[in-house]
Amino acid sequence: MEPQVVKQGVFEGKPGFPREYGPERTDYQPGVPFWPHEVYRDLVIIFILTAIIFFLAAAYTPIVGPSANPAIQPYSVPDWYLLFSWGLLKIADIFPTGKIPDGIGGTITVDAAFWGDILTAVPVIPLFILPFIDRGRETRPAKAPVRTAGGMYGLALIFFSSLYAANDRIIASWPFFVDDTLKWAILIPPILVGLATYIGIRRLGFRDMYWWLVVTMGAAFTLTVVSVLWSFGLGPWGADGIDPVTRLLGGWSSPLAFFLLLILVYMGVLFFATVALREKKAKEVVAVATVIGFFGAAAAMKYFASVNYAGSYYALQQITFNANFLVALPVFGLIAFYLGTRTPYSTYEYLLNECYQCGKCHTVCPVTKVEDDALGGLNLVYNTFKKQHDGVPLWTCLACDACSAVCPLDIKYSDYILEERSKVSAQRTAADGGRYLH
Amino acid sequence: MARESLIGRMNRKVFGYLASRFPPTPWADLTRRTVETVQRQVPRSHAEKYELKTIWYWYPLYCLGGIAFVAFIILTITGILLGFYYIPDGTIQFTRGGGVTSAAYNSMNFIMNDVPFGFMIRGLHHWSAHVMIAAVFLHMMRVYFTGTYKKPRELNWLLGVVLLFVTLGFGYTGYVLPANDLSRAAATIGINMTKASPGPVFLGQFLTQLVFGETDPTGFYIIRMYWLHVFILPLVGTLLMILHMALVWIQGVGEPH
Repeated sequence: MEPQVVKQGVFEGKPGFPREYGPERTDYQPGVPFWPHEVYRDLVIIFILTAIIFFLAAAYTPIVGPSANPAIQPYSVPDWYLLFSWGLLKIADIFPTGKIPDGIGGTITVDAAFWGDILTAVPVIPLFILPFIDRGRETRPAKAPVRTAGGMYGLALIFFSSLYAANDRIIASWPFFVDDTLKWAILIPPILVGLATYIGIRRLGFRDMYWWLVVTMGAAFTLTVVSVLWSFGLGPWGADGIDPVTRLLGGWSSPLAFFLLLILVYMGVLFFATVALREKKAKEVVAVATVIGFFGAAAAMKYFASVNYAGSYYALQQITFNANFLVALPVFGLIAFYLGTRTPYSTYEYLLNECYQCGKCHTVCPVTKVEDDALGGLNLVYNTFKKQHDGVPLWTCLACDACSAVCPLDIKYSDYILEERSKVSAQRTAADGGRYLH
Repeated sequence: MARESLIGRMNRKVFGYLASRFPPTPWADLTRRTVETVQRQVPRSHAEKYELKTIWYWYPLYCLGGIAFVAFIILTITGILLGFYYIPDGTIQFTRGGGVTSAAYNSMNFIMNDVPFGFMIRGLHHWSAHVMIAAVFLHMMRVYFTGTYKKPRELNWLLGVVLLFVTLGFGYTGYVLPANDLSRAAATIGINMTKASPGPVFLGQFLTQLVFGETDPTGFYIIRMYWLHVFILPLVGTLLMILHMALVWIQGVGEPH
């Protein structure tokens, strides 16, 4: 039988092989039955959920508590889902207060509650206009870095403003924290979270993040330098009148000087590795610096606590006071460096998932014109992707990239093929006793 | 040709005799064929239709809206039961011992201590509320991060945002009702925030009077919160939820791919 006829009989209507001619198909497959298939699946979820709620109700019965009493103003925080609003209401005392005329003879009292209203209401606006400003067609989080980073920023904002709702509890249990540090935590860490997410997501899409990392690490390093200088000279430490140079030169035994220099050196290493070293070397250097820095800091803390307890206490206090930079920046630098340089090979399948089998790649593939298997309907890309091949399509591919050129979703198939080949060849080399190439 | 075994022949004879006289009706097959007709089937999804390799670990994120709805059903049932015993009267009364109480607070204690399984019903109501709000938050996060609010589902996103505020309203008006210290603190914050509404002073006063029925939390706010909690919000919320799910049914689920 002619291969073309076999192809029509076997593959027509299958993914990648659209119907070419003939009568309209009648084997319409509507999907899974609602009863019982879908209902059973739903019932499992419903039963598990109900069981969990029954368990919670029986094991953690909510108590009623004392009655409302106008004579007593109790300490209480709202339920967790309104904590963010309560935190924003609390932070609102940083804004100016006063009275402004309302234009019809009265005055508007601008106080913390007013600003709390504004702060709670403003985030609602992006929620309402979101579908009208984000009009692209990308739906995947990994394909929309700005949206995903914005979402992570928002989540971090909600988290830290909820945290601030319990500021007095936090300060009571960890006295190193001061109110201003927690207030700045609503502003600084969410930005770092959003930035790190953006870098990670862009890298996930196989973008080269070198310049992003250089700029980010440079800014982080500069901020660290400023923070360290501020802690040395301008911060509360300088209030006793000793000039910063004396402090710096004479303060080598001081735990604060040690920890500040440790943070400074670590951020310097991150910056230097990003700018000057090749990616693989940079990763090794950063890994070693992180391990040494972490355990070195822990050992130094232990040592200083034994020889200079007041000094180490003071160092901890000062670093916590500036935690939004001195603690958050090194953590951010490490995470951003890792996300920006990691090799996202495992995400090839994730990207290839976008394929909806339009068959254009098969049409242009030159191998299918000469290869016998291919003439019988062997779709190189599709079969390789589905792992329904015996290894032949992987090695007959010319990597000419014609398929990627016509792909409506711009999927880089040849990258995937080459990556698969390199994996296999690396394994073979290793099996032969050679050095593993990766 | 090998002969059939003796037992096989006996079976064939016995069952053949019976079957020829009492022909079996394939009830199970007939039922399955009936329920599996095209009209009673869930349409194939986009991913199924085009055989897309979807990311399996995204699928649990797609039942969060359903979880919120199930929690809402449990809330409705337990709320109806609680409504038989709860007294929405927050007027401050003094006990013989000099303590402070109110009819609402007493009815809460009655539910917790005297009503058979009353503590369980209230516990279910309490935890279902937490589950529902958590599920709504996570549902919204899922919709945001997978970009499902885009064309053609803008209207449904807006409905969802309104439903989020309805759910938060349910939560707030709900935990104000027990007339305990948390209720009073929450009412104080709510009244102060409403009074500080941006705009002319009389607007804040008017809104506070409208929503809470008083500008200082003396206990009258309980009846307003009660009626919002058991009538206004359920009415609005249920209608919007039906519309929300109808739009999902019409437009289809924005699937992961």
